[in-house]
Amino acid sequence: MKKNQRINRNLEILPGALSWGILIFLVALAIWQPVACAIVIIIFDFYWIIRTIYLTTLLVMAYRKLALQKNIDWMALCSRLRPNNRWKQVYHLVIFPVYKEGLDILRPSLEALKQSHYQKERIIVVMAFEQRHLPAKEYACVLEKEFKPVFGDYVSTFHPDNLPGEKRTKGANATWAARQAHDLLLQKGIAFENVIISCFDADTCVNKEYFGCLAYHFLTYPKPHQASYQPIPVYNNNIWYAPSFARLVEVSASFCQMIESMRLEKFVTFSSHSMSFKTLVDIDYWPVDMVSDDSVVYWKAFLFYKGDYQVVPLYTTVSMDIAYSNTFIKTLVVQYKQKRRWAWGIENFPFVVSRFLNDWEIPLGRKLKRSFHLLESHVTWAVWAIIIAVIAPLPILWGGVFFTEMPISYNLPKITGMLLNFTLGTSLVWIVLSRIILPARPKDVSWFKNVIMLLEWVIVPFIIFFLGSTPALDAQTRLMLGKYMEFSPTEKSRKVV
Amino acid sequence: MSGEQKIRSALYYLSVFIFLVGLPFIISFALGYKFDRRSFKFTKTGLILIKTQPSGASVFFDNMLLGDKTPVTINELLPGTYAIRMELSGHYPYFSNVTVEEGKVTRLEKVILFPLRADVKKLNKEVVTYFFIDEPKGAVYYVNDDERSVYKSDMDGTHFDKIADFQAIFPVPKKWKHSPDREKLLYYNTNQIGIVTVSAGDKLLSGQEQPFIINYAPGGIIEAYWHSDSYHIVLVTYSKIEIVEAKTNSIPVPIINLNKRNTSSFYDLRADTVYFLDSQKANDGLFYDNVYKLELNAKLYPFQEFMKLAPTFEKAGVKQYEKESKDQP
Repeated sequence: MKKNQRINRNLEILPGALSWGILIFLVALAIWQPVACAIVIIIFDFYWIIRTIYLTTLLVMAYRKLALQKNIDWMALCSRLRPNNRWKQVYHLVIFPVYKEGLDILRPSLEALKQSHYQKERIIVVMAFEQRHLPAKEYACVLEKEFKPVFGDYVSTFHPDNLPGEKRTKGANATWAARQAHDLLLQKGIAFENVIISCFDADTCVNKEYFGCLAYHFLTYPKPHQASYQPIPVYNNNIWYAPSFARLVEVSASFCQMIESMRLEKFVTFSSHSMSFKTLVDIDYWPVDMVSDDSVVYWKAFLFYKGDYQVVPLYTTVSMDIAYSNTFIKTLVVQYKQKRRWAWGIENFPFVVSRFLNDWEIPLGRKLKRSFHLLESHVTWAVWAIIIAVIAPLPILWGGVFFTEMPISYNLPKITGMLLNFTLGTSLVWIVLSRIILPARPKDVSWFKNVIMLLEWVIVPFIIFFLGSTPALDAQTRLMLGKYMEFSPTEKSRKVV
Repeated sequence: MSGEQKIRSALYYLSVFIFLVGLPFIISFALGYKFDRRSFKFTKTGLILIKTQPSGASVFFDNMLLGDKTPVTINELLPGTYAIRMELSGHYPYFSNVTVEEGKVTRLEKVILFPLRADVKKLNKEVVTYFFIDEPKGAVYYVNDDERSVYKSDMDGTHFDKIADFQAIFPVPKKWKHSPDREKLLYYNTNQIGIVTVSAGDKLLSGQEQPFIINYAPGGIIEAYWHSDSYHIVLVTYSKIEIVEAKTNSIPVPIINLNKRNTSSFYDLRADTVYFLDSQKANDGLFYDNVYKLELNAKLYPFQEFMKLAPTFEKAGVKQYEKESKDQP
């Protein structure tokens, strides 16, 4: 094994080993040193509460920005920019990587694009199908017929299977489509500097103001090609029809993304995002052999620009589907797999750190900081729920007589309970915000669903137990053992009967 | 840096500050330390855990009423002794002086607060002068000396019925005893033994089943025991151990003469054996108390023959139970 490969392999092992190490260490501590374990748990609980309060404050700040920018006429703002015609030169290249999604999913996404307030002649749509999916040609024909006349240009691409160096990932399909678009833009004589590429999940329905907002930020950001543009993903497409726990998980995911939008130094692209096409070409597109293409593309750009690359938050929404199926268990599995795929973002860690080691231009402090953030966020994700739900009671259960004779045995549950009660306050904030961002109730949904949506927050502790840390620990363990994941698209349903 | 990012930074550092400042207090509280603001030091404390049955009692700690009701934990107590009082309406209060040690949990977990009026239930439905319980049968027997009647009920007083009449003896009986077959009752004083049949129910009693009295002319009955055959009665008196049949005009047969006047005895019904205390003269001429075992089971005593003879200690199977005895009778 070459040195670089060995380093890379060790970096793959590190997050999983760290997470398992923490959990095993705490369990061992609970058996042999219950007092020490109790102290560690109290420290963790206290840290977690303060972190939750801090992050909830950021959520409120992010929501405030979202609310304030909701009614901005971005096109008007664009038109006021100097020089006057600059904004008219901007093109939006929109790629929808499609795998098995049907017309019921794809049509609303294109319809939302059609309803956009941006000039349609400056929107180029690329529907990126997989060649191996047999109905793809048929879907392409139907959609072309409907939508080709609407946009400046509209192309369907069919990504061949098993290209050398590729894995079956969304990034491979998107890259194939972007290369086709590259040729198209050259043919049309459109400068890459003027093209903003948006790579959307197939179920993404953009806000009407999205492209105006994106263009404005692109035109006003000092280094527009050294930035990705990240909207707030919300899962409103089928929120009124999704089962309770799936809805809660996705609402929490939206909120997490809103919180991240406030932490610019850690902000990384996620799911549907946009960037300069020039930059995308420069960095050689998305990775074709990694599952978490949405975040790796950011790191590629970060490395390309030697650390001088940002993610600019767009306080406008793109709406996607909540992943669910037609039975509770299947939905649980779908959700679990989706969260595990998100958690597979830990593959960024060896990717980034191994390149940091060979890079001498990015400041060391920045490299250390970003590496630590990446590792800490994933390790915390993999252990926090398990520590709170499983390990916290162990000192009391296994502590024995000696432990129960000590005040800490009585104070541990008391302090834990008291600290976790603080989270009730933050939960109220989350409940209120989830109500505010909820779209209007469809006519075929009973008003009683409003009551259910309030009551469903009671099941949050159970969701945390099942979907809090386990998918992340699973992903890290797979990476640690070298059992690499391939992209498995999440099952999406608009309305399950 | 934008205004929002400045606010975020301020919040971040505030959170770090709260964490760093709050953590020592939370951990010291968890470990039972108390921060003394005067001395600016942490002092190790103990705690008292109180649980009562029933719960919800008010707790007075050194005569100061606490806000919480039981179950309650009193934290951050400096080592020492504290007066704890618990009060619950309708129950007797509970007092205790509790010593608290540093770093230790003192538990008052098994406190039962007894109700002021206990759950007392009267069982008898007639005048009663004496009662006894037949535990294996789950029955209570009541004796009315004035009416010379015996009543019986279940353990909770139900099915209270008169089961027999008996003949009076004077002075009043000091004990009543069931025969092993539960068909007869024996009652006695120092010089009379009464027998009454209790199993007849409503049917007419035969001549043998009518209540009767055996007069023990010498007097001095200390104990009377039923033999396991429910027919013979073993009498321990001031001077002898005798056996008498439970029938009218029967004559006691002496088994052993006793030197000790007020002996104590025990009858093992399963083995038909009397254990008794007696004084015997030793070689040194002095009297010593020894415990003896007298076996009266059917193997050793064919009772028909036994009634004709008064065997010696050895023949009667008496075994001495004092190892250091100075005397072999």
